[in-house]
Amino acid sequence: MLVEIAQFLTILSTGLFFLNFSFSFLFDSKDQHIANLVSKIYTHSSLLLVTSFLIYVWLAVSDNFSVLYIAQHSNSNLPIFYKITSIWSAHEGSMFLWILFLVLWGALFNFVTDNLQDLKVKSMGIISIIIVGFLLFLLLTSNPFETILPIAPANGADINPVLQDPALAIHPPFLYMGYIGFVIAFAHAIAFMIEGNSSVKWEALVRTWSIAAWVFLTIGITLGSWWAYYELGWGGYWFWDPVENVALMPWLAATAFIHSISVSSKSSSLRIWTILLSIIVFSLSLFGAFIVRSGIIDSVHSFANDPERGLYLLAFIGILIIGSMTIFSSRLSMLTSGSAIKTFSKESFISINNIFFGVLVFSTMLGILYPLIYESIYEQKISVGAPFYNAIFVPMTVLASIFLFFSVEARWQRKFVIRSLINSMSISALISGSLVFSAYKIFNITGTWELISIFAGSLIIIRYLFVIWDYLLNNKYSNPFSVIAHMGLGMLMISIALNNELSSERALNININQSDMYQGYEIKLSDLKLVNNPNHDSVQAIFTLTDPLGNNFYLKPEKRKYFARGQITTETDIYVTLLKDIYITIGDQLKDGSWIVNIQFNYFIRWIWFSAIMMSFSGIMLIVSINRAKR
Amino acid sequence: MKFILRMFVIILPIALISFFYLYINDDDYYPGADYRNYNLPQFELNELYSQSPISNKDIQGTYLINVWASWCITCRVEHGFLVKLSNKNIPIMGINYKDDRDDAINWINKFGDPYKLIIHDFKGSLALDMGVTGAPETFLVSNGEVLVHYRGEVNTMIWQDVFTPVINKYELFK
Repeated sequence: MLVEIAQFLTILSTGLFFLNFSFSFLFDSKDQHIANLVSKIYTHSSLLLVTSFLIYVWLAVSDNFSVLYIAQHSNSNLPIFYKITSIWSAHEGSMFLWILFLVLWGALFNFVTDNLQDLKVKSMGIISIIIVGFLLFLLLTSNPFETILPIAPANGADINPVLQDPALAIHPPFLYMGYIGFVIAFAHAIAFMIEGNSSVKWEALVRTWSIAAWVFLTIGITLGSWWAYYELGWGGYWFWDPVENVALMPWLAATAFIHSISVSSKSSSLRIWTILLSIIVFSLSLFGAFIVRSGIIDSVHSFANDPERGLYLLAFIGILIIGSMTIFSSRLSMLTSGSAIKTFSKESFISINNIFFGVLVFSTMLGILYPLIYESIYEQKISVGAPFYNAIFVPMTVLASIFLFFSVEARWQRKFVIRSLINSMSISALISGSLVFSAYKIFNITGTWELISIFAGSLIIIRYLFVIWDYLLNNKYSNPFSVIAHMGLGMLMISIALNNELSSERALNININQSDMYQGYEIKLSDLKLVNNPNHDSVQAIFTLTDPLGNNFYLKPEKRKYFARGQITTETDIYVTLLKDIYITIGDQLKDGSWIVNIQFNYFIRWIWFSAIMMSFSGIMLIVSINRAKR
Repeated sequence: MKFILRMFVIILPIALISFFYLYINDDDYYPGADYRNYNLPQFELNELYSQSPISNKDIQGTYLINVWASWCITCRVEHGFLVKLSNKNIPIMGINYKDDRDDAINWINKFGDPYKLIIHDFKGSLALDMGVTGAPETFLVSNGEVLVHYRGEVNTMIWQDVFTPVINKYELFK
């Protein structure tokens, strides 16, 4: 009964959202009554949808296995937390969550802004029609409310044990919040072009929202990377898995977008790019949903295979993208009103870097498309991996960071001149050069690109240290958010280079009470235990490691067998130090009784995530400070 | 310049979307289907009921291999179709995948047995060698060579569009 009510509420809200779209486009959006009406309808229809979702959560928590989706993805033995997270462990439920977030972004925007704010009515209308498109997709092709009465299974199925993990349970929500958060910027861009009044400062209206979405996306990608590292046992931070790439593309475009916003809000000279980027970012987010949910590519993340869903999503995305691009190209003259960009001004450097970001997005897209094109011509499956992406990303990032380095000194709308040879720029270059030299001499780092990346990374960090120095000593103003975010980027580049150069791994065969040496560490398999847990049994191996200084510590990797699916998983154990992780997994037992043990030394991997967190932190601080300035 | 930009932003998305449209609207487009041929991996496992050892030499000729488990809801949906196939004298070998033996036997007693024999792959080792990512999956095997590998539920439509063309091509089950 409850499930029918939930479904009915969803259908009802679909109708109301459509009504909202019609009102906002049929009537005069400057009229106070219309503006209030559109805002009210939106609030009510979003309340219906949120209620429907909450009922669904209740159905999952109360083990209502007459709902097909819940029966397939939840189990009565699961802890409550995982009963809730099982909702987004597969296609239908995660689509429902996606729509919920879309609705909530719109609702938050509706709640905090004045009803007569520029572009608001039309933007709400555009958000509503996008919601309608997704709701129809949900109800027509992937209905989460489908029931299996009268033969409801007693205990449900079980969610995949690798999905029973806190990082996984929260990383999709963060990613979805990020992807879908760009709807605010997208809707405003379209409304701006439709209304055709170029004096409206649309950049200022969307800036906070876009940075917020970018923060969510950054955190979501970082959490995903961390999850793959310690739970999937992939043992690294990035794998160029198609689904990772699909998240990376909107991130790259969004990074270019939020930089572009700050340029065009100052001089409206880059407005044409800012508008185009807002369309591209949102299109790439939708493209990601299409790629993952149409079953086009094989990946750990891919959802159910159903061509029908792919076709619907493709048609919907096609209408949105081609529609918005048509509006864009018919309004070009309105968008190019700004003054030309001065060479060597701050905006010129940002524009150049936007081109680099564009190249990176394009290459990633090519890496996803190439195997598909190849397959349809030669009927063979191939995959594009790290060598392709590294060959493009490494030099591009290095070049971009050099331009970033110059842009620190540059001024808005003014030509940048080097006043003397002895300045912070040349000193930073000198220090970075000597750092690279010592890395080469002392730490024996020989990879050319690694050394170049370390140089570029330290160039950025040291340059910004000078900025901080200037601020502390001479009280010279600097943008603290830019300082933190870009120092995070510098750290990211150095950490990735060092990780690439220093990390190593080896598979060892060790019998109980025997030991082996690796990288100066003695690794002894001191005990094996059988452990019984509520939903799985496990074999736990206890390793005693002795470091070169003679200190001991223990690592306890496991192999688990889950009861419900009988699935066997490998649990890693990781010893974390400031510079490196010691990462250990156990494999199978060999005939002579010894165990295959995989040991990895992962250098600077925590620093990679820490850098990403620094970037998102600067975004959060920026949002807080913008809101404080408004009051 | 404006003209180039205009063409670029319209034509690029149209090209991309048409490509994907053609890619997934292809009549043969079944994302779960894989037509690469390879030899069935060597295995030594136990039969589910008798628990007697079973290996490649015990399964000869042309047959389907169906990977299933009692915990798999989709397998339950698929099961009726497999029973129909076995009534048409198409031999089906079952691989019981990562499952408890008692649960598996209860399941078969409840829903019927379309299988000639059932390999009990408790650790999923054979399934891993065969590239199984989950249940249900179905393979068409002839003389030790895998001709079709289908991931997901087999039903009348999949049988006609994915399996029948290959069966007709090699004139199998005659």
